[in-house]
Amino acid sequence: MNPTRQPNPWDRLTAAARQLPDTRDTSAPYGFATRVAALAMTAPRPSLGIMMERFSFRALGVAVVLMLVSVAANYTALASAFTEETELRDPIAEVLDLGS
Amino acid sequence: MSDETAFDLVGCLQRVRRSDQLAARELVEHLYPLVIRIVRAHLPRRVAEEDLAQEVFMKMFSRLEQYQGAVPFPHWVSRIAVTTCIDHLRAQKRRPEFRWADLSENEADVLDAVLTNESDRGPDDTLAAHELVHKLLDQLKPADRLVLQLLDLEQKTIAEISTITGWNNSLIKVRAFRARRKLQKLFLELQRKER
Repeated sequence: MNPTRQPNPWDRLTAAARQLPDTRDTSAPYGFATRVAALAMTAPRPSLGIMMERFSFRALGVAVVLMLVSVAANYTALASAFTEETELRDPIAEVLDLGS
Repeated sequence: MSDETAFDLVGCLQRVRRSDQLAARELVEHLYPLVIRIVRAHLPRRVAEEDLAQEVFMKMFSRLEQYQGAVPFPHWVSRIAVTTCIDHLRAQKRRPEFRWADLSENEADVLDAVLTNESDRGPDDTLAAHELVHKLLDQLKPADRLVLQLLDLEQKTIAEISTITGWNNSLIKVRAFRARRKLQKLFLELQRKER
């Protein structure tokens, strides 16, 4: 707790609540460990297909992020490329223009 | 802890990975006190602690292949327990409003005492204070609630909370700040309203 902070209602309340000792037993109830272990050992392990699916989704996410970052980083170059494309120089037209 | 040194965790994990059911049972028994403390501290309403503990252990076994040893195994398990509790807390509907009328006589007396008493001395009814704290915590977002509970009730340090939850220090501080601010607002609101 921050020592400079003035005790407020929440501090007073939690200080009182902390006085209540937790006397509950923390050992596993009878049969719990056996049941859980049996369930865990009989449960199907994640198959290769599921693992691949999980990794594929992760890879897809990374690819999308990389794509967005690269587009953002090269935005000006990309934008200017499109405008240049519309104003492509046509050498034949230029020659014809010179001839006329 | 002497129990931890006596228990061969590494050997036990190797046996569990070879589908040794006896080793799995020993592992559950060894980790049960750790898991049940987290589960009890962050137990949503109408959820049995044993069911939640079982869910934590089943997740632990199903993800065992993913454990790389980057953090101690009990820390890894405690993070599974914390996220499982948060998922359950998110799933439960929060009460729309905290009202005087919802409190028992003792809880209302305790709340009255902490709202009006300016001295450092807290209320005497610790059980009612404990119940009231949990009712107030129910008003917070699950992750904020968890941070405040670990900080103010269990008196863990930021570093310890980071170990248990896997969250960084800044995130923990932000969550604690947000939770305290919400509680402060709630107390002000309660002060304005008549009992």
